[in-house]
Amino acid sequence: MHDSSSPASNAAQPAAPAAPSALVSVSASVSVTRDWTCPFCPLLCDDIEACVRDDQTIAAPTTDCARLAQALTHFSAADSHCQPMLDGQPVARETALARAAQMLAQAQRPLFGGCATDVAGARALYELAANCGAILDTLHGEALSAATLALQDRGALFTTLSEVRSRADLLIVFGCAPGARHPRFYERTLADSTRARNICFVACAIDPAASKIAHAHCETMLEHASPYDVLAVWSALAEGRNPAAFESGPADVAQMAAQLAALLSRIAAARYTVLIYEPASLPQPHAALLIEALHRIVKALNRTTRAGALGLGGADGALTVNQTVTWLSGLPLATRVARLDRPDGAAPLEHDPYRYRTAQLLAAREIDVLLWVTSFEPHPLPDALDPQVPAIVLGPPALASRIAQRAAPTVFIPVATPGIDSGGHLFRLDTSVVAPLTPARHVNLPGVAELAADLAERVGAQRRPS
Amino acid sequence: MTLARLAGGIVYDPANGVNGERRDLYFRDGRIVDAPQGAHIDHDYDARDMIVMAGGIDLHSHIGGGKTNLSRLLLPEDHRNDAPRDAAYEAVRDPQGRYLRMPSCGVCTPGTLATGYRYAEMGYTAAFEPAMIASNARHAHLEMGDTPIIDHGAYVMLGNDELLLQMLAARADFDRLRDYIGWTINSSRALGVKVVNPGGISAFKFNQRSLDVDEAHTHYGITPRDILRTLTRALTELRVPHPLHVHASNLGVPGNVASTIATMDAADGLPIHVTHIQFHSYGTEGPRKFSSGAREIAEAVNARPNVTIDVGQIIFGQTVTASGDTMMQFKNAPLAQPRKWVLGDIECDAGCGVVPFRYREQSYVNALQWIIGLEIFLLVDDPWRVSMTTDHPNGGPFTSYPHLIRLLMDKSFRDEQLDRLHPEAKVASALPELKRELSLYEIAIITRAGPARLLGLNDRGQLGTGAAADIAVYRNDADRERMFTSPAYVFKDGTLVARDGNLVATPTGGIHYVSPDYDRGIEKTVRAYADENLVGGFAHTAISDDEICACCRGGRLLPVECFEHGADPTAPRAARPAASPP
Repeated sequence: MHDSSSPASNAAQPAAPAAPSALVSVSASVSVTRDWTCPFCPLLCDDIEACVRDDQTIAAPTTDCARLAQALTHFSAADSHCQPMLDGQPVARETALARAAQMLAQAQRPLFGGCATDVAGARALYELAANCGAILDTLHGEALSAATLALQDRGALFTTLSEVRSRADLLIVFGCAPGARHPRFYERTLADSTRARNICFVACAIDPAASKIAHAHCETMLEHASPYDVLAVWSALAEGRNPAAFESGPADVAQMAAQLAALLSRIAAARYTVLIYEPASLPQPHAALLIEALHRIVKALNRTTRAGALGLGGADGALTVNQTVTWLSGLPLATRVARLDRPDGAAPLEHDPYRYRTAQLLAAREIDVLLWVTSFEPHPLPDALDPQVPAIVLGPPALASRIAQRAAPTVFIPVATPGIDSGGHLFRLDTSVVAPLTPARHVNLPGVAELAADLAERVGAQRRPS
Repeated sequence: MTLARLAGGIVYDPANGVNGERRDLYFRDGRIVDAPQGAHIDHDYDARDMIVMAGGIDLHSHIGGGKTNLSRLLLPEDHRNDAPRDAAYEAVRDPQGRYLRMPSCGVCTPGTLATGYRYAEMGYTAAFEPAMIASNARHAHLEMGDTPIIDHGAYVMLGNDELLLQMLAARADFDRLRDYIGWTINSSRALGVKVVNPGGISAFKFNQRSLDVDEAHTHYGITPRDILRTLTRALTELRVPHPLHVHASNLGVPGNVASTIATMDAADGLPIHVTHIQFHSYGTEGPRKFSSGAREIAEAVNARPNVTIDVGQIIFGQTVTASGDTMMQFKNAPLAQPRKWVLGDIECDAGCGVVPFRYREQSYVNALQWIIGLEIFLLVDDPWRVSMTTDHPNGGPFTSYPHLIRLLMDKSFRDEQLDRLHPEAKVASALPELKRELSLYEIAIITRAGPARLLGLNDRGQLGTGAAADIAVYRNDADRERMFTSPAYVFKDGTLVARDGNLVATPTGGIHYVSPDYDRGIEKTVRAYADENLVGGFAHTAISDDEICACCRGGRLLPVECFEHGADPTAPRAARPAASPP
């Protein structure tokens, strides 16, 4: 299997740009797609050379990204032989679909979980949800909800990746390590720049991925402080509170105030400051408060200088499905879509990120069918899923072997991964750009959209008055 | 090949000079045809004494793209407050038993599904997104593609993109600027070009807080006038039918009458469309230093045959202002109601600001804004140069159009509304003296025939032989609001889609776009700029035919022809006769 790993680097000494992978598989490349867009994290890097070998494995030898390398390990020659399964036995697709449709048509309270798909998949899942009366939630519902709640309560002041690249002279990273889930974040946003960049890590350590960037000067402050305390003091200072006012209080808070006041001076002197955060890295269950505070601070900064916030996250199509469901219905995830033949006066749509969170629904045993959609990576069924609850799984062939025998009826249908075996559209993490995906490979697998549309037709037909 | 007849209606078709004549209309295969001799009529619709017009065309409505979706995300309460209609309305099925509607809600920021359903139920057959950011074009097309029934298209934003400003500052050859503009229109599948606060969105990124028409951008040193002059000239040379669509400098600023007129003149006599001009028609007179500039603006428009406008009427109630004008939205943010707002700098290309707002009858300023919009409608002489809009949702939701039509057609209704306003506003305005009531013919112009002509849609907005059978049929009613709310019949490309305000079919609408010629050599320049400044490669910018079909859910591609070579670009748009349909 192809393995692409970056050379170990000494954190004190920024390394040269990553060298191409040393390990190359024995099989010859069959096809190369240049400027290929990777679907596996919401950076959606589009400068990748995707090489498909004659054994249907895929490599990206000129790209240094651990996340991509890991994701590519799931694709193999076995993919083209993968069959749908019913209760662990291979069956024809027609059989699987018929059974799945029956399960959905009989369900009173279905959950469409995972929802890891692209725009086309989201469009079709919405229609299926309306036919079934389903709840929609994603793999990253908690982090996504935190971001949504903050926006609904207070709004936002944001910037986008190209603005960061062309304009930002001061980057402040709050409480996260962007490189952990987005390995090429710095490489892409600070690309090829001779311009010096200052990156200040607040309430976290210096991100190892950042220290590899030659022209970036990294530092950390208040590394172990509580993010709540930091933002509370920072807010007060941003609204004009004199740092001296903290001197009469506890020493550590006074110290914090002094350091943040110094940071504010640097922001005032900068041309364009970007404040980077990652909802999934913020402490729950009240990450929304922190996100709201960050945006409030950024808004206050903009009274006199220019700054924007950048939120990282939304992988596995979470951002994409959230955007699509929002524009179709008007409401974001997590939302329950009532059945089209609902009783008079019943609400057509119920948005409730607390009640309709996957973990909550599973723990309370509230659902009677789970449709688990995971088209990018083979995320298995949640552990908390009641063994008695029937499940339908739409996932890549690599997931087939990971579906253990279950007590309740379980359908598995292998699907194409957008960007690998099918085209598609995905939202980039700054939501301003929608990237078109080109398949690197052409194993013949149905897409989520095709299957969901088929199921919607079947379920609708079963419910239609004759 | 089924033939349909719409019998006994009273037709208003200003593009063909038809002013309230009783005529039968025949259509087949989605097109209006001449009365056939002895052919069998498959569908016979009784339209006796009903008012027949082409389907409505909204040429400025924020229906798709990043800021539209941000407004939905920002205001879940707007959706929760949208009470569900009864089951008969919601659960309607087609002849095969399939549900016609899917759940979608919202009042001032409706989901795309609700948007399409409501426009169609109201007799509109096309709506256009006026502020599509080039880097966000796919998102705009995806949302418009998920807007059922109606045709759509978008104007791409230019004039705040750093590349254009760099080229202007470097005094690049005009030809190259023109080619870059042509490339942008093509690659984003736009129908026209929009400029928002020329240079101002970019200037705000450099911490400049205001930018008047002849003021220099702090970094590039160029002025809004330079930008306007370049864009109007380029569009004329590219022979794009729709004029430069301009959201002028100083939106909302008392005294902006002067900069609005200066904006009109920056076009040097070339066609220019000044949008939601109500927001740009404010004087500074009176004790509150806020007054109506409607008369001055109307006179300026009347005197300049190259200028067209849409009004951007405000409607009282809760709405949201979604705009690309970050500079002004940041200024307005403290007025947000409720107190929350979204703003962002976008991709070295543009920006957006979303600020919820409640227009109140008892606010002097809001009352005057309402008055100013109506004054403009009534004081501009040539209805072919005025389009009716509320700048949805910025002035109010598009579902308020029937109410607005009644205000324009019925002076006594207008006076009743005036009496409910802040008393000082009424005193400060000329509206009580304006007796003009628009006729059905004029309404047909400002809501369909005029917009179609302005966009170069030769076979829409009119009911002549060969035109598309986009038809709205209204039961005549002295209460014009009721009349225009629920047409008796709405046809889209000859298919009946709504009856008395209820959907009966939900076909997929098509996308209008224009493809002007340009020298492809400019792509080297754009690629070099992207490589140097952007995250995201040039290779993925242009939207192919296959892709636009996928975005639009298989809706038809409706390319719009550019003007002929040799056509006089300075001939007033309004006087140009409708080209004969194919």
